[in-house]
Amino acid sequence: MKRMVSAIVTLSFALAFLVLPAFAQETVKVGIILPITGEKAKFGEIEKKSFEMALEEINAAGGINGKKLEFLLEDDTGRPDVARSAAEKLITKDKVVMLGGGYGSSETFAIAGVAQQSRIPFLVNTGSDDKITEKKWEYIFRLNPPVSEYPKGLESFLTEVVKPKTAVILYENTNFGSSGSKEFKATCERLGIKVLMMEGYEHGGVDFKPLLIKVKQANPDLVYMISYLMDASLLMRQSLELRVTPKLFVGGAAGFTLPEFQKNAGKASDMVYSATLWYQTLPYPGAQKYFDDFKKKFGVDTEYHGAEAYAAAFVIADALKRTKSLGPEDVRQALAATDMMTVFGPVKFIAYDTMTNQNKLPTYLVQWIDGKLELVWPKNVASKPYVYPIDWEKIWK
Amino acid sequence: MEVFIQTLVAGILMGGIYALVGLGMTLIMGVMKIVNLAHGQLMMIAMYITFVLFDHFHIDPYFSLLVSMPALFLLGAFIQKYLLNPLLKVDSILPENQVLMTVGVGMILTEIVRFIFQSDYKSVKTSYSFSTMYLGTISFNTSMVVAFCIAVLLTGGLFFFLARTDVGKSVRATAQNKDAALLMGVNAEWITILTYGLGAALVAAAGTLLLPIYYLFPDVGGRFTLKAFVITILGGMGSTVGAIVGGVFLGIAESLGATYISMALSDAVGLVIFLLVLIFLPGGLKKLTKI
Amino acid sequence: MKSIRWSTLVILLLLAVFPLVIQSDYYRHILIIALMWVVIGSSWNLLSGYTGQVSFGHAIFFGIGAYTAGLCTTQLDISAWYGMLLGGPVALLIGLVIGWICFRLRGPYFALATIAVGEIFRLVATEWVDFTEGMQGILIIQTFRSKIPYYYLALGLAAACIYSIHTVMNSKWGYYFLAIREDQDAAEALGISSFRYKSLSLMISAFFTGLAGAFYMNYMAFIDPQVVFSLHFISIMAILVGIIGGVGTLWGPPAGAFIMVLLQETFRSAFFGMLPKWVSEAHVLVFGLLVIFVIRYMANGIVGDWGKVRQVFSSRKASPSAGSGN
Repeated sequence: MKRMVSAIVTLSFALAFLVLPAFAQETVKVGIILPITGEKAKFGEIEKKSFEMALEEINAAGGINGKKLEFLLEDDTGRPDVARSAAEKLITKDKVVMLGGGYGSSETFAIAGVAQQSRIPFLVNTGSDDKITEKKWEYIFRLNPPVSEYPKGLESFLTEVVKPKTAVILYENTNFGSSGSKEFKATCERLGIKVLMMEGYEHGGVDFKPLLIKVKQANPDLVYMISYLMDASLLMRQSLELRVTPKLFVGGAAGFTLPEFQKNAGKASDMVYSATLWYQTLPYPGAQKYFDDFKKKFGVDTEYHGAEAYAAAFVIADALKRTKSLGPEDVRQALAATDMMTVFGPVKFIAYDTMTNQNKLPTYLVQWIDGKLELVWPKNVASKPYVYPIDWEKIWK
Repeated sequence: MEVFIQTLVAGILMGGIYALVGLGMTLIMGVMKIVNLAHGQLMMIAMYITFVLFDHFHIDPYFSLLVSMPALFLLGAFIQKYLLNPLLKVDSILPENQVLMTVGVGMILTEIVRFIFQSDYKSVKTSYSFSTMYLGTISFNTSMVVAFCIAVLLTGGLFFFLARTDVGKSVRATAQNKDAALLMGVNAEWITILTYGLGAALVAAAGTLLLPIYYLFPDVGGRFTLKAFVITILGGMGSTVGAIVGGVFLGIAESLGATYISMALSDAVGLVIFLLVLIFLPGGLKKLTKI
Repeated sequence: MKSIRWSTLVILLLLAVFPLVIQSDYYRHILIIALMWVVIGSSWNLLSGYTGQVSFGHAIFFGIGAYTAGLCTTQLDISAWYGMLLGGPVALLIGLVIGWICFRLRGPYFALATIAVGEIFRLVATEWVDFTEGMQGILIIQTFRSKIPYYYLALGLAAACIYSIHTVMNSKWGYYFLAIREDQDAAEALGISSFRYKSLSLMISAFFTGLAGAFYMNYMAFIDPQVVFSLHFISIMAILVGIIGGVGTLWGPPAGAFIMVLLQETFRSAFFGMLPKWVSEAHVLVFGLLVIFVIRYMANGIVGDWGKVRQVFSSRKASPSAGSGN
């Protein structure tokens, strides 16, 4: 038996060694880690498609100084231990020059740990836990705003238009949810909004009614929810059922901006606001074109996650074109010197507040109006005027 | 006060779904003493069947019951006949082989489904998905009320089946003492096949009825298997009425726990009750009922 | 002390030189994980295979070990390596408590109870954010850049674990464990305190599993409740390792560990990149099929039913009475 095991082990390794040397360095390899399967698969899919779309354009335009750029996609299945293993595999076995991707905060955190330790640059484009860029890890760069800044666009809307006095925060018990809710609570305290209730829930719940009943009783002006996809739909559907009617519902991005949210929640999604990091009508060159091209090619709408991935691809390509060599330290320096415009907005990695290597971008507010996601705030970039105050009875008929 | 009543209502209605999930399990555990860890996965299959019927043929979930229940009955019978029954004759160190076989079955069912449908979330939106009934300010989710009624009907049906029909009595006999039943001329092997099939059909009903108010993905079954155990132990193995009572009890406990302790720990409430009953009240609430 | 078979020494030697021969970190990683599962699977086997108390909650001890190490850094501000010293004992103590609660239950009821306790631990670890950091998890920086120290540590753990189990099972305790498994009431009647020996078995089992957890924290450098208290990926995996390898045998779980880990990685990488991508998604399916096959035809696992396996490969001289029940 043990002999058989040793034999199998030796044989498979031998086979692998036959395969490995076949890779000559004709392409420039970058590892991209996303949730392709698992619960966050929907987000992973949008990002994967965006990366692929960008890759085609980059290579059609000459690649990296004549050499083809290659994205090696690994599936982290939405679990940080798998993400970590995937990162290790890309670094040690596939010998990528840098890493990209990083969707879930836990997974991104785990990947960043590996990257920093292995001294391989990692460009985060979605993972939002503030801690990821607060560790002074010089090999980690982040394109997207941290979760604490998600509600920034919402802030001015609250202070100028809504002026709520009380709020309730509901969040999913994940890294994204718990860090996001903590940050929003701090924001509320800064704005003088009293947080009546802040509660987490296990994602995948069937019945949120006990939670929502408490919310209804607390009768807040604002309900802020942070969740990935399906809980968002159920929360709104059940709020409709129970007739929970605050002055407004605001989602903390993620699940609330996906087209699936509207599909699953139906009329319960109407009039719901959400923080967002991007919208196709923003005055960034290529934003609307990206949106239209994506729709044409894949038949579905894209949203901020896709834009993050698309932009990240170009940032990666840009850095690799400028870098002195493909060694990790040179690539890192090239990334650090990035100063360009993308469909997601301007990209320049700076240090501010407690963070380093962080790109600083504003955030916006969207609202579901008549089944479509519209950018409503700030007013000067809005695609449609916001609807407030909201007559829930009429909407929920 | 209103909070309390609404919470209670939410818990009771959820209990209806739970009861259906538990009904199948209590039958399987009661008769065959098998810990069926594939229970949730059977439910998941039924949900996918319902989904496909709705998505492609626009058949309403309530009608899908007529398809999903028999389909799962056959699947369950198949599993019992070819995978579980043979184990009874195999000589092995651990008697828990049947349990582990169900683990394997569950894994296979999940992965096959994942292969076909991928991992994304599916849901159905029926005309009554949003329909709610109001009694004053207390809201009742229509779908769940219907599910509750069906659960009661099925419990009644099962009760009748077990108590009054010959086949049903054979099932009870096999549950009480398999060897004695054999001696009395009961075809025990056939009975076990029937029972597993029946248990599967019942959890299929739960799945079909759950789909309009929840959503679907390959791993949806796991949490429900756990709930099924809690209910079975609470209500007493093999007790049909126990399943309904256990289900409602669990629903209410979770609901109250979510409201008055915290939503995140509501699952833990059920588990703690489960442990307490396991340790201190091994017969479950069965002691209070006749069957 | 029983003499150590020379085949054991050969295996040990092969494993010892492995990381020096194979330079790839990727393959070293796979072996490290396999060795870790040797520990977990063997520990599970001690309680479940030898003593007959089938545990579906071994993630409890794994998670406790992992969090003990992790909390050293977050709460006590000391290195996670102290977790290697503390993880085992802490898990052992908690094991005692769990045993005290659960051992009055038999067979499937015990199994169910362990599932429940495991889930409760996971939920509490998730919710008690102030203590455990909840779902944000605990992240540390690996002490060693190279995998080699970790490899030898894992190898040492695995060897220690197997040796301990070997020693225990060859002692009087071993007989008591088996007696309890075969017929607990008869054993009691003979004066063997089932509670006492079940607890002993659990304590040893929990100790090593806790050690494995502490190792995990130090090696993988990131944990969260969903990873280390996972019913599906830790508890059930431990059972599968034991079952496929062979419950109630010393080398069963190690064989099972290697098979499971290698199988998983082989499939996940689509045979190391040689087969199309969809193969990688099939690895759980293959597990499931393997489980069903093994339980149905080789209920004592690959090692336990090795005789049957050899029968299949040798000439068809099946003796009339030795055929397995079908």
